[in-house]
Amino acid sequence: MPPAAGDPFGRRSVHAGPIGRRSLLKAMLAAGAAPALADLLAACGSSEPPAGAAGSAAPKIPSPTNPVRWPLSTKSPAIKSGLKPKPGSTLRVYNYADYLGPQVIKAFEKKYDVTVNVSTFNDEDEALTKIASGGLNLDLYFPSYDSIGKLVGADLVRPLNHDYIPNIEHVWPQFHDPWYDQGWRYTVPYTVYTTGIGWRADMIKDDIGAMSNPYDAFWDPKYAGNLAVLDDWHTLMSMVLLRNGITDINSTKKSDISLMHDQLMKMLRTTHPKVTITMYNDLPAGQYGLAQMWSGDVVNAQYYLPKGTSPDVLRYWFPEDGHGEVDNDLMVVLAQGSNPVAAHLFINYLLDPTVAAKNFGYIGYQPPQNSINPDELVADGYLPKNLKSATVLPHYFDVGYRLLQLPPSADQAWHQVWQEFKAGA
Amino acid sequence: MTAIPSAALVPAPRRRGLGAWARNPWRKPRILLGITLLYVGWSLLPVLIAVLFSFNDGKSRTVWQGFSTRWYYGDPLRSVWHDPTLHSAVVHTLWLGLLATVITIPLGVAMALGLDRWRGRIPAGANFFVLVSFVLPEILLAVALLFVATVLQTPLHLGTVGQVIGLVTYQLSYPVVIVRSRLLTIGKHYEEAAIDLGASPMGAVRRVLLKMLLPAIFASTVLVFADVIDDFVIVRYLSGGSSTEPVSVKIYNTARAAPTPALNALATVLLVSSLLVVLLGFVAYRRFTRGERRSIDVFAGET
Amino acid sequence: MPDASARTGRRLWPLLALPGTVWLLVLFVAPLYVVLAVLFGGVDPILRQPVPVWNPVRWDFSQFRYVLEHIVGPDGFFGPALVRTTVYVVVASAVCLLVAYPVAYYTARFAGRYRGLLLTLLIAPFWISYMMRMLAWVNLLQNDGLVNRVISLGGLLPAAHVNWLNGQPVTVVLGLVYGYVPYMVLPLFAGLDRIPGAVQEAARDLGAGRFETFRRVTWPMSRQAVVVSLLVTTLPMLGDYYTNDMLSASPQTSMVGNLINNSVLTPGQTGQAGAFVMLVLLVSVLPMLLYVRASRTGVEVES
Repeated sequence: MPPAAGDPFGRRSVHAGPIGRRSLLKAMLAAGAAPALADLLAACGSSEPPAGAAGSAAPKIPSPTNPVRWPLSTKSPAIKSGLKPKPGSTLRVYNYADYLGPQVIKAFEKKYDVTVNVSTFNDEDEALTKIASGGLNLDLYFPSYDSIGKLVGADLVRPLNHDYIPNIEHVWPQFHDPWYDQGWRYTVPYTVYTTGIGWRADMIKDDIGAMSNPYDAFWDPKYAGNLAVLDDWHTLMSMVLLRNGITDINSTKKSDISLMHDQLMKMLRTTHPKVTITMYNDLPAGQYGLAQMWSGDVVNAQYYLPKGTSPDVLRYWFPEDGHGEVDNDLMVVLAQGSNPVAAHLFINYLLDPTVAAKNFGYIGYQPPQNSINPDELVADGYLPKNLKSATVLPHYFDVGYRLLQLPPSADQAWHQVWQEFKAGA
Repeated sequence: MTAIPSAALVPAPRRRGLGAWARNPWRKPRILLGITLLYVGWSLLPVLIAVLFSFNDGKSRTVWQGFSTRWYYGDPLRSVWHDPTLHSAVVHTLWLGLLATVITIPLGVAMALGLDRWRGRIPAGANFFVLVSFVLPEILLAVALLFVATVLQTPLHLGTVGQVIGLVTYQLSYPVVIVRSRLLTIGKHYEEAAIDLGASPMGAVRRVLLKMLLPAIFASTVLVFADVIDDFVIVRYLSGGSSTEPVSVKIYNTARAAPTPALNALATVLLVSSLLVVLLGFVAYRRFTRGERRSIDVFAGET
Repeated sequence: MPDASARTGRRLWPLLALPGTVWLLVLFVAPLYVVLAVLFGGVDPILRQPVPVWNPVRWDFSQFRYVLEHIVGPDGFFGPALVRTTVYVVVASAVCLLVAYPVAYYTARFAGRYRGLLLTLLIAPFWISYMMRMLAWVNLLQNDGLVNRVISLGGLLPAAHVNWLNGQPVTVVLGLVYGYVPYMVLPLFAGLDRIPGAVQEAARDLGAGRFETFRRVTWPMSRQAVVVSLLVTTLPMLGDYYTNDMLSASPQTSMVGNLINNSVLTPGQTGQAGAFVMLVLLVSVLPMLLYVRASRTGVEVES
């Protein structure tokens, strides 16, 4: 029976519709991520499951309370130890734009006689489609941890050979056995960041950080027309939950979802926020005084200030006890690449403390290095004193809240709320 | 037929006053000129500002932080001169622009001619699809072509081939619509006269019609070329790696990034290169049509 | 002799239109089908990516229906965005026409030997990236930008400052005008250019005033060109999302293009994009019909 009209929990993806579609999807899974046309057309005609379909349940969603140790890939095993990259070969990296320091890349190229080729993407869904197609022959990818389940499930990544990556010792201990990839079989962390509140002391008279519930500022008519929130559904909607003291920011409860809906609409009506990701530029430009921001954004903001405005005006707040949104990006070696040795060496190279610090200076997002401590960052000139709170501390990751992949029906419901929010009142 | 200066026939009225000036049908079109100049100024001011910011001393693209040429060649890593990904972007953009335009314009003009004269259901259907392709948001076409490129086994691959095919498909409606509208104001007389004088139908088209269609063809070439070099959605979805990422992808990829005025410098370089390409094209055109009318009036189709 | 050439003439037109039609068929109509298969298809449970479903019988219309049910009424949260889009596009198109017509007219009729230069200046904005031009407007419209400084007379009237970039419909409409008016000027120029000056001068010789000449002679003859240039500007405007993102970034001014963009990129919501596109197509049917009707009854000018 087709799902009820207007049902936001429209159970489309696996259960809805006649049995033919389920078998179609199974056929796709069986045939791999890039099915041949023949399979598709054959499956769509019949309503019987094709032979040999490997019926798999919904993939595991790792979480801090449900850590996952991924199975090692049989199709693309880890490379042997002790290999060297072919001189003059190319390493194909797939990353966001401007998310790797050019001097860092150049130094690597010189050291190993390898050419590094960086292709860029704008969002992860686009990246996944291109990776799944296999045509780009990419070696290294920089995903978020909520993609790891998809990548392993679709057999797109190669397990790491730890012998090539001794620099892991410089990385925070919690990443040696993270819940999303126990035993760090496939991933290594790249950057860590927090989602907090940034503001300009010269435009906002109050000390937002000193308020009893700083998140309330986004609903306060005092700041109407003078604030911005992040254009990311999960990040913004979680802030609504955190404002109300709800710590499960991946909630599937209907009451939570309607709470988010009502409060987001109230926010639209009361404070008319801008919904964007360009805070790193707009806040220094004085376009608004208050914004929900990523820690890396506020670090970068100091370089976008007009001449004559000191970085002292910038402020950042994140709960000192670490009970806020924290995230990290990863590095993985893709199975399709033809230069996995160079990929491993590049990962190791980026984990070196000096290199990591240099990269940090370029991209503004902090690497989880043991050697980095906030006082030194201020002393070394990476951060002005007033932005010490933008440093990400290891204990945040023990208690902080993570944005996790949602089960399909909840994902649908959250997105419906988001769509309504973005459509305006 | 050039107009005989009417002032020679009708003595200018001697009455003064604003009312008389407004009512004078022969006065110089000063208001129109004023509007045109204002428009040109308004239209180009942001271009000048964009170029200005390529000389910004700091990282911002909207906040002035001082003057410097670091983004052109000063900065040893991120300037257009030193960053190899940026030059390859310019070259790839111009190449895409050229390929896509060279395919789209002849195809589109031929289609406009054919659809205009051919009656029947097929051309009506084709006409309808041309209009649909106008309205369809580009992202849908891009997503569809991405599927065709990644899921189906066809000659459409990610990379330059895919990008050109996507661009031509998306732009095809422009020349068809623009040329057809001009065609309608021309009518069949000229061709019929030419045929009566012994020309073949193809010859009549080539020597008479096409000349008269030049402004429309020119207008569509400009539109298509400019649209292609600035296209972002299709080329991004169909790009096959860093060597096929044109300038627009570099400029528009701002998620999680802190882009610099090197992009303004890149856009300026592209602007200058495109103008050069067009100038070269124009000079080449003048050389090849040396035997015929040389003045720019030829673009007006004045016969 | 005339018979033979007439026969080949009739075969010529389909032949000309054929390559374009075949291209369109293979590379547009077929991907259009892929678009539909994706919009109404399923979602890959592992990769959470849209998966095309080829058999139309199995298409899933629940998201499509969801949109249609939430347009009007107490739950009608998509309604305001649709109404808003229509208003913005109508106003922006009207302003575009008001601006482009005089400019195109001047260039076609009075520019004389400066025509080439003027055309180059009119084309120049095309060649700098759209994003750069919009960023330049962001710079001008910033709270401490040039526009505010001019309005407040250099700081004398600080109260006159307007927060242009924060969810102001005026900014979005003017941004649309700015972005699309160059697309209107060129086809208008190509069309207005065909109006022979002789006819207008004849009208004036017969005693018609300036306005009367325009109303009875120029305007009717330019209708075709106006329809085409409106088509070329209005239809793409309906799918525009970038202007709003750059100049406002506020849900209060979001347009249908933003809704389409959001839903296409969200696994599981692609059906919504289908609904929005269908609505956009419905709205554009009127101008498309106008165009088709105008192209069938071509305006004969030469006699």
